[in-house]
Amino acid sequence: MFSAPQKLVSALIVSIFAPQVDLWGLNPSDSGIDFFEKRIRPLLTEKCIECHGPEKQKGGLRLDLKQGWEVGGDSGPALVPGDLTESRIIHAIHYENADFQMPPKNKLSDEAIADLEEWIAMGAPDPRSGAVTDSRESGLSVEEGREFWSFKPIEKPKVPAVEDPLWQDSPIDSFIRAAQEAGGIDPAEKASRVDLVRRAYFTLIGMPPSPDQIESFVQDQRDDAFERLVDELLDSPHFGERWGRHWLDVARFAESSGGGRTLLYKDAWRFRDYVIESFNRDVPFDQLVREQIAGDLLPYNTPKQRSRQLIATAFLALGPTNYELQDKQLLRYDVIDEQVDTLGKAFMGMTLGCVRCHDHKFDPIPSEDYYALAGIFKSTRTLYNYTDNVARWVDTPLPMEGVKANELANAESINTELKPQLERKKATQSVFSQHTVNVPKPGPPKPSRQFPGIVVDERDAKVEGAWQFSQYSQNYLDEGYLHDGNIGKGEKAIMFSANIPITGTYEARLAYAEAANRSTQTPVTVSHSKGETAVIVDQTKPPSEYGRFHILGRFEFEEGHRGNVRISNRNTDGYVVADAVQWYLIEDESVIKSNARKEELAKLKTEIKSLESELKPIAQLLKARPIAMTVKEDPEPSDSAIRIRGIESRRGDVVPRGFLQIATLGDTPEIPHNESGRRQLADWIVSPDNPLTSRVIANRIWTWLFGQGIVSSVDNFGTTGQPPSHPELLDYLAIRMQELDWSVKSFVREIMLSETWQLSTQAKSNVVERDPSNRLLAFYPKRRLDAEQLRDAILASSGDIDLALYGPNIDGAGEINANSTAAQKIEYNYVFKDKRRSVYTPAFRVKRHELFELFDFGNINFTIGQRNTSTVALQALYMLNNPFLIDQSRVAAKRLIQDRQNPDERIDLAFETTLGRGPTDEERRLIADFLSNGQTSDSVEEWSSIFQSLFGSIDFRYLK
Amino acid sequence: MNSMSEQPQHYPISRRNALRQMACGFGYMAAAGISSQQAMASSIANPLLPRTPHLFPRAKRVIFLFMAGGVSQVDSYDYKPLLYKKDGDMLDFTDQRILAKTGMGSNQRVMKPLWDFKQHGQNGAWVSDLFPHMAKHTDEYCVIRSMQTEGVAHGPATLFLHTGSTNLIRPSMGSWVSYGLGTESQDMPGFVSLSPSFGNGGPRNYGNAFLPAACQGTAMGRAGMKATNIGIDNLRNDSLSPDRQKRQFDLLQSMNHEQCQSQPGNSELEAVISSYELAWRMQSNAPEVMDISKESAATRELYGIGEKHTDNYGRQCLMARRMAESGVRFIQVNYSDNSNNPAWDQHNDMPKHKEHALAVDKPVAGLLTDLKKRGLLEDTLVWWGGEFGRTPYAQKNGTGRDHNPTGFSVWLAGGGVKPGLIYGATDEWGQYAIANKVHMHDLHATILHLLGMNHEKLTFRHEGRDYRLTDVHGNVIHDIVA
Repeated sequence: MFSAPQKLVSALIVSIFAPQVDLWGLNPSDSGIDFFEKRIRPLLTEKCIECHGPEKQKGGLRLDLKQGWEVGGDSGPALVPGDLTESRIIHAIHYENADFQMPPKNKLSDEAIADLEEWIAMGAPDPRSGAVTDSRESGLSVEEGREFWSFKPIEKPKVPAVEDPLWQDSPIDSFIRAAQEAGGIDPAEKASRVDLVRRAYFTLIGMPPSPDQIESFVQDQRDDAFERLVDELLDSPHFGERWGRHWLDVARFAESSGGGRTLLYKDAWRFRDYVIESFNRDVPFDQLVREQIAGDLLPYNTPKQRSRQLIATAFLALGPTNYELQDKQLLRYDVIDEQVDTLGKAFMGMTLGCVRCHDHKFDPIPSEDYYALAGIFKSTRTLYNYTDNVARWVDTPLPMEGVKANELANAESINTELKPQLERKKATQSVFSQHTVNVPKPGPPKPSRQFPGIVVDERDAKVEGAWQFSQYSQNYLDEGYLHDGNIGKGEKAIMFSANIPITGTYEARLAYAEAANRSTQTPVTVSHSKGETAVIVDQTKPPSEYGRFHILGRFEFEEGHRGNVRISNRNTDGYVVADAVQWYLIEDESVIKSNARKEELAKLKTEIKSLESELKPIAQLLKARPIAMTVKEDPEPSDSAIRIRGIESRRGDVVPRGFLQIATLGDTPEIPHNESGRRQLADWIVSPDNPLTSRVIANRIWTWLFGQGIVSSVDNFGTTGQPPSHPELLDYLAIRMQELDWSVKSFVREIMLSETWQLSTQAKSNVVERDPSNRLLAFYPKRRLDAEQLRDAILASSGDIDLALYGPNIDGAGEINANSTAAQKIEYNYVFKDKRRSVYTPAFRVKRHELFELFDFGNINFTIGQRNTSTVALQALYMLNNPFLIDQSRVAAKRLIQDRQNPDERIDLAFETTLGRGPTDEERRLIADFLSNGQTSDSVEEWSSIFQSLFGSIDFRYLK
Repeated sequence: MNSMSEQPQHYPISRRNALRQMACGFGYMAAAGISSQQAMASSIANPLLPRTPHLFPRAKRVIFLFMAGGVSQVDSYDYKPLLYKKDGDMLDFTDQRILAKTGMGSNQRVMKPLWDFKQHGQNGAWVSDLFPHMAKHTDEYCVIRSMQTEGVAHGPATLFLHTGSTNLIRPSMGSWVSYGLGTESQDMPGFVSLSPSFGNGGPRNYGNAFLPAACQGTAMGRAGMKATNIGIDNLRNDSLSPDRQKRQFDLLQSMNHEQCQSQPGNSELEAVISSYELAWRMQSNAPEVMDISKESAATRELYGIGEKHTDNYGRQCLMARRMAESGVRFIQVNYSDNSNNPAWDQHNDMPKHKEHALAVDKPVAGLLTDLKKRGLLEDTLVWWGGEFGRTPYAQKNGTGRDHNPTGFSVWLAGGGVKPGLIYGATDEWGQYAIANKVHMHDLHATILHLLGMNHEKLTFRHEGRDYRLTDVHGNVIHDIVA
């Protein structure tokens, strides 16, 4: 590859160097400087400096100073004086590598290239002085970062004293009230009971209370009436549906991949159910973190627990992966990046994605930390392999219990017993009938099964060292072949191994495509029943058998044992290639043609047929067992090298697997060399010493309860995020979370029982002026129903809602191949028509439910810590004209007309079922006017219009 | 009009907080996507106000005619005589798909163009018989023959074309343009995608990602839907007579006013009321923008409307012109379908290119003629092209061509582009761009430049980082700017 420049070096030394010095009568360095000034400086200025100069330093490289090319860019020095082969710049200007061509737009003229080569060959004389200063921005150092609030250890703060006795019972209230007292503002009145019950229902279960439920709370005179209400709602199975949904937002849950070729995540519903169930059962949050990061590695007592934990790891698998990305190593790192980024945001409020390319510009996170985490996920399998045209995620069958488990265990044991028998019989059959095979001609690729005897392709071989897959030389079997790249001599080997079905003498043959650049002395070792035999193969010579296979020799092999052929690249002098190995049985013509053989073959045929029919239902049974999207450990865990500027092909130092230094205040768990480190990562994340995790989750829960966080940038606790409005309260809550053993329900309960949570949305005078963004929470923030609440509230008000809990909800997705066009069509042609709660609405990444799309569900591809609230005309159009609204209004109208006869009662009930309150006088008048407008009040159309107006009205769409 | 500073200041705080901070009486915050001139007078934070760009704008709007699947450059705009000479020869090529997977080259059969090339116009541009109508306009557009992009498969490359990233979630170009320039339309969204596909990224290709929701593209119709059925979702109410709907609308707004009054000081609630008013106006006026029935017979003929092959795309091109007139900033007219191998993706049936050419050739040429006649071509940038080109050799020795992201052709017309220029070149095979290469990032940078925006300054801070359409890449191709 580099031969051209090398030849040039010698040519230049002879032709230019020595003679011209004398000719010009100058000393070498002067002539060199002169050459630089005349030929090189103008060239660099014209072609290079724009991107590699004082303004821009693409790739970190400057060419306007001598020190610039000496220090070099991200990949090291740009050139080596006197050595063209080692000078990166020379390879770049020759356009040798499609990914590394300079200048990028147009190749330099041959003359310019020759000039640069000449200049480097003469030692690159360069008079330009001046020092390169590192102009790259960088963030805080880890030490500086320790002073930033979110990285400081969490300490339990002292609860402040407040004057107002009502605000002294709950520490939460004391923190809030103290800040208000300091700011000289007064809290709002307590919310009315009618408003409070509606707020509590929507907050805890995401649905409105029925008129009866409102009435029973309003009439409950007991002191602890609200406490009872909260407990009742926390116990409702709908709690998990609402609160699970919050977490699903953070987990960027979806049921298809989106991206290029969208694939259906047909089993992702299990993860959704896992989340809902976890919130319903109040599984401690630290346990949830552990299960989602490393569930497959945790101990378990029952198959059910094992299933739960396996399902949890879908957290890592269900990102918006572009499975058809062709550069599979890039895809691998894109997946890792997505995992690191999601994990950072979800649990620690850290934005890590940008550290893939450079040290964090604002936060104390060096690239090493990113690649320490990346190593953990590199040691984790998220894709089955890295060669599929369209890659696949890792499916894991779930363990079963009871009868089903026995059935499956039985099937599995039959399968384990019979499958090898079948394979052996098939192998015998193919050896016995090898003479009848019509062997393909040499030339284009052919499947290995078209060749006689036992053929093992390279894809089933075991490899040592870094072999490269190739399809360059067409004459291969199956999908391609491997070569050693003519580098790393002595480090690589491939072993082809076959189960010998019948004892005898076999001819072992090696398939490869010959070429002039191949090794002439490839060492091959054949292991047979008499020992080992070493053979040397000249791979520049064409193979003799069918133009594809080279004969290694004849050897004895024994039935039931393995025959091995190992190819090494030790001491080889060219490319070592390996495609397949064939075992060809050597027999007398008489044996082959004998009647006994015919009978044997007939018998084999019958036996194979009967085995196959026995195994068919077993295979089906095994196929139908429940499957979860998971990750698993990579068989060979290893650390990751830094990718310079995030570019896959540009490797820097290898970093040991580990965690973020800045968030490490105590001991770090050790990662054993044979584990990915996910288990230790989860332990480190939920460790009480981690300053981020409990602060982040406490703030998330606070946000879900108030609509705004103590830290308003809920997914960003770094220096570019917002500081906490009440830092001590946040720390109090973070400690409280740990004291409550990470029980989300207990935590939610404590906050909801505070005065603060129960305030009215109506601020006292002058509060809004003094605290326009209500950071001091002197009133409860008015909240708009989010997409799911809106849809569920409409369905609940009309009475049409289907409250079925758990389970899949994509029609037709059952046992479909997720990687098929048919599966894709399910998504593209999906009609959303079920009446189940919105948490079960198919969460496709491409085809979104229109209501979700319009009402700020947000981007389903990202972690969403907090929904936006936009108010746009397209939402209004939906409320005015969408058939869902029109249909539901009709359902509600029909029900109302049946249930009530008296016009006034009808108005009352219409308001109570939708707005959770009776009409005001003015509203009653408006409805009466509307109804009296020449229509009878029994008209479904009229009442539909009223319901649709109620659904569209402010008091339906906003909570007080 | 407010001005756009180098670091855009128009989203300094969240919409939510902005709303909280505003006193009652301000009602038009909500105008997202459909802002009105009157509304702007009273607004200080409408995200889609028209904004003064960084530079003097040459174009005010973009019509992007997206040829999904990848048009073959060697069969259309990139004439390579060598392909005829070497037709059928097996030669070594670096196939991008094999390269991406294995890092190796491969042996491929050269395949000559299936359509004859001729020179056209004053500039003598070579165009094949595939596009006889577009060939008549070579003096009006600038052909870039040296395009390069990223992504070998449709999904990654389509996403790259629209968002500047093959895999990561980024805002689409139209969203960036909406974000940077706002909209001038009173009754229409600022960014419209006509008949987009679900495939190859689907909504991400017109998505706002982390930009404000108002910058989201509005899909009208879906790939495969007949052009006669295209419209804004939920614009029509088939259940109620206009008269009834008006009564219902009045009831709704009366209740809203009543409910808003009981909670003074909440501008967000007023925004809801305004959103209904704007929706109502949109419902009344937008259909007219989309309605091509009143266009003259001559105009309709120009676009090939009423003709079997061209009716569908012709209607959409005409709608695009009408939207351009009504002030829509970024109009994308997709020629696509919902499959993984969309429209122009002829892996094994190259002659099928003709079918697609028949469908788009006359409508596109008609659009150019019409825009020019109305003086709209001056400040409308028309961009024709796909996500990549095709290989000069047959795929797997067959009768089609595989994807080629390393050298392909697109053209730009109007909006400050040098008309009649032929820019850049590929190698003798038409496979690799070798002279004046234009990377997709460069094309993005250039289009933003023509719209008056500096691609390095059009940034949005998200999760602590300033994002750009062009990431850390892109150079404006000044050579093609008139």
